[in-house]
Amino acid sequence: MAGDIGSIPELDQKKYDSDEQVKIICLGDSAVGKSKLMERFLMDEYRPQQLSTYALTLYKHTATVGNKTVAVDFWDTAGQERFQSMHPSYYHKAHACIMVFDVQRKITYKNLAGWYKELREYRPEIPCCVVANKIDADLKVTERSFNFGKKQGLPFYFVSAADGTNVVKMFREMMKRAVDYKQNPSDFMDEVMQELENFDLEKKEGNSEADEDALKAESPEVV
Amino acid sequence: MSYEAKRCGVQFSPPSIVLFYEDKETKHVRKRVMPVRNFSKYSDYSMAAERLKNNPRHRDYLENVPQSQLEKLHIILRDHMEGLSLEHSLASFRLDPDEDLNKLDDDELARKKGQMDELFEKNRRRKDDPDFVYDVEMDFGKTTQEKCSWDEESDDGF
Repeated sequence: MAGDIGSIPELDQKKYDSDEQVKIICLGDSAVGKSKLMERFLMDEYRPQQLSTYALTLYKHTATVGNKTVAVDFWDTAGQERFQSMHPSYYHKAHACIMVFDVQRKITYKNLAGWYKELREYRPEIPCCVVANKIDADLKVTERSFNFGKKQGLPFYFVSAADGTNVVKMFREMMKRAVDYKQNPSDFMDEVMQELENFDLEKKEGNSEADEDALKAESPEVV
Repeated sequence: MSYEAKRCGVQFSPPSIVLFYEDKETKHVRKRVMPVRNFSKYSDYSMAAERLKNNPRHRDYLENVPQSQLEKLHIILRDHMEGLSLEHSLASFRLDPDEDLNKLDDDELARKKGQMDELFEKNRRRKDDPDFVYDVEMDFGKTTQEKCSWDEESDDGF
């Protein structure tokens, strides 16, 4: 896998700087139902674009947020989560993050801490939520309170990709928060600073050849 | 004519999927052996399962047998061709809630996912269901809130 940010040739991440483009990422362990949630939300629109070289799946969606039409790219891991860590380009320019765990498997809840830590290393400010999936398996879990999200001040959703409970609500609210985040000018400078920081870090790690690739990646979009 | 699938299983030689079904007209339970052709240890079990489900000779009988179950039976056949025991195959499907699935390889993970899919399909509301609602909202917030044991024995953040 190439070492630097934005170096996915099929994907020009510069487009996410434009007002009408939003990038929302999904995080969480294997088999918590991330793709199933996407599928339930998008229904007929569900046409994943596999970038298997990067263990990445993209879903494109057009939404109306407020009175604005926004193109939303949802980024989903395609097995990359098995490395317990995502490539920096996954976080790059993301405007919101959906963190998912499986209410039937405690380990997926415990692992949220690791995912959240990594997210905040790259994107300290973006809106994020915690999603408890598969509540259809046992509705009793909804009587319990899961403190992880609360402690971090994150919205929490009980959802089921199978019967659809709260799936659409969660996605709509996250799209709205992603757009709000983008429009908030005080945060914008943070974002720029953060990008610069990331870029410096990458430079230190990569060789000069890799840096050239990063520049090339800003060329016209192929997606 | 309508058939109700009762149970299914495999037969190793020749490799076949076996189905016990009830003929709804006669009320008789019958056994149907469906040979799995052109299937080797290198074959894609998911495609093979789909092929069988759509086979014009078998599809009426297999209508209410979930794809995931047919996939599982094909995996068992394939494992056998590779010399793996039935116990091994069955263990590979078993879900252990404490197992870290991030550590499995593609094939092992697919087996667990197949297992999870059974519950998913069972609880699934489909778009063509008469009572389908796209935006289902339920508020769980206020009611109870018993403390979750998963938050105990805590490290930071929980």
